[in-house]
Amino acid sequence: MNENYKKNNVVLEIKGIGVTFDGFHALTDVNIDVKRNTVHFFIGPNGAGKTTLLDIICAKTKPTQGNVFYYPDKARQQKIRLTGMKEYKIVTEGIGRKFQVPSVFVNLTVLDNMILSLKGHKGVWDSIFFKLSEEQLQLIDDTLKRVGLENRKEVKAGSLAHGEKQWLEIAMQLVQKPNIIMLDEPAAGMGKPETFKTGEILKEIKKDCTVIVVEHDMDFVKQVADMVTVLHEGKVLMEGNIHDVLADETVQAVYLGRGGERNA
Amino acid sequence: MKLIKKNGYNVCFGIIVIILGVMPLLLQADMIKSTTVLYLAKCMCFAMVAIGLDLIWGYTGILSLGHGLYFALGAYGMGMYLKLQATGGKITDFMQVGGLTELPAVWKMFRYLPNTLIFMLLIPGALAGILGYFIFKSRVKGVYFSIISQALTWAAYSLFIALSPYTNGNVGITEIKSLFGSIKGPKNQGNLITLFYVTLVMLILIYALSRFLVTRKFGKLLIAIRDGENRTYFSGYCVSRYKNVVYVLSAVYAALAGALFVNLNGSVTPTQMTISTSVTMVIWVAIGGRGTLIGAVIGAFLVNLCEYNLSSGSLVEIWQYIIGALFVIVILFFKGGIVGIVTDQIPALIRRKRRKSGREEA
Repeated sequence: MNENYKKNNVVLEIKGIGVTFDGFHALTDVNIDVKRNTVHFFIGPNGAGKTTLLDIICAKTKPTQGNVFYYPDKARQQKIRLTGMKEYKIVTEGIGRKFQVPSVFVNLTVLDNMILSLKGHKGVWDSIFFKLSEEQLQLIDDTLKRVGLENRKEVKAGSLAHGEKQWLEIAMQLVQKPNIIMLDEPAAGMGKPETFKTGEILKEIKKDCTVIVVEHDMDFVKQVADMVTVLHEGKVLMEGNIHDVLADETVQAVYLGRGGERNA
Repeated sequence: MKLIKKNGYNVCFGIIVIILGVMPLLLQADMIKSTTVLYLAKCMCFAMVAIGLDLIWGYTGILSLGHGLYFALGAYGMGMYLKLQATGGKITDFMQVGGLTELPAVWKMFRYLPNTLIFMLLIPGALAGILGYFIFKSRVKGVYFSIISQALTWAAYSLFIALSPYTNGNVGITEIKSLFGSIKGPKNQGNLITLFYVTLVMLILIYALSRFLVTRKFGKLLIAIRDGENRTYFSGYCVSRYKNVVYVLSAVYAALAGALFVNLNGSVTPTQMTISTSVTMVIWVAIGGRGTLIGAVIGAFLVNLCEYNLSSGSLVEIWQYIIGALFVIVILFFKGGIVGIVTDQIPALIRRKRRKSGREEA
């Protein structure tokens, strides 16, 4: 694999990111390349800065240092600097985000949730005269089928079960046809079978886009991860495939919380 | 079921419109007093403000405690025109007392009717737009927005008092006739009826426009902003722009209502932009039921009609307490207001009863 090919495959380039909250270094000099059509995990103990990193990518938080670059197309003709953009514009560039707490619109039906998430038609005027086309309805149906919610279209999102809400939120990202989809703990609060199903959904999704996941559940990571980045105290500790990461001693020490004396 | 429910609101509004529509006929038949008709017309103005407030509070979740400002601005705009009609375009007494020798430029804007109709809506709308732009862009929300809106109203109130050569301070603009001439006395009943129907038509238009908007994707989006602002941003919407549009729209509604109100009231004073007036407007919406539009209309009518009937007698002293207590009760126990009681709580009660009796039979 030559250098050029490697580069070509990168969809998201996190370069020298550092962020400080009132003197606390949440992230220091983080460099990560995320490859196209992979499931890339950020793992690490609590407070390692995983969610902060997602916040920086989608511009919810401004970094103190560094930049995030995004290459929308395979030929890398376009290089977009995400740092400093407005979050709603980043979404229209093709980067979706699912939050840690399932955040769907509880007072709207599943179908309405999906309609609001469709690509395009984001202006005020558009929204007044918007009409759902056949293709869009088809796309919504297909997407809901992928997450197994095709029979719940008319149900209010608030009355869905916890797992279903998570899937709906994933579906809401998918229907935007994103290039990158970021999921913050998609399996949180799910039982084993539900977690497994979520994993299968992710494997299916990565054919069309890149998936970045923050997750604690190791079985889930083993099930779907192509690449794992371990964060610890705001720094990148290690990067590699899941087997190498799990075999690494420092990772074990840090992740299992016994790293205090060994790191010192 | 949902369809029936949705149309139920419109049917309810239709009934209200029909009842209102026959009132002038009853007046002509001498069955009711002209003051009642006049008061009902004022209630329609309040209902227009309430619909706007429902859009911004009930649907979008932004509690504005300062819509009295826009109501008063619309009222002053129309009031200035009507006053100039009364003086024949000359400067008024209070301006002379205040030391002015010439008609101020602000007043000149309202010399003719077409200008007035434009400016009385444009000025409040533009003010709301500029304020909203900065407030929403900097992501001010929740109680902070409410406090700011209240402070702005208070500032405007003080300003209007201070600029008494231009506004006649505390007294406000008085001794004016309506657009259609005087509405007082039996021989001017025709004018009153015309004004009544104009107000009714405006109410219908505002309701219809609002109903149209909330049934579109636009309305769903407002609910989405209320329930999950962050999620809405990350679904690719510029939330602040939507908020601003609704804010301006509700301000224009309030201004239009104010402009009609001054015709009916025959005067406009700064009390209309006090905080208590603005809070009262919110109470109408809360009692009627948020997020339904019809609730706002019902609330505005019910509260004001109660006030009309109760506050004249021995209850005048305690009326404020009654309305306050009612507000607290609604917020604590009946979040959906009157509409919520009818559409949710009573059906739930019936269902529970039915289940109980079903169990007993079994």
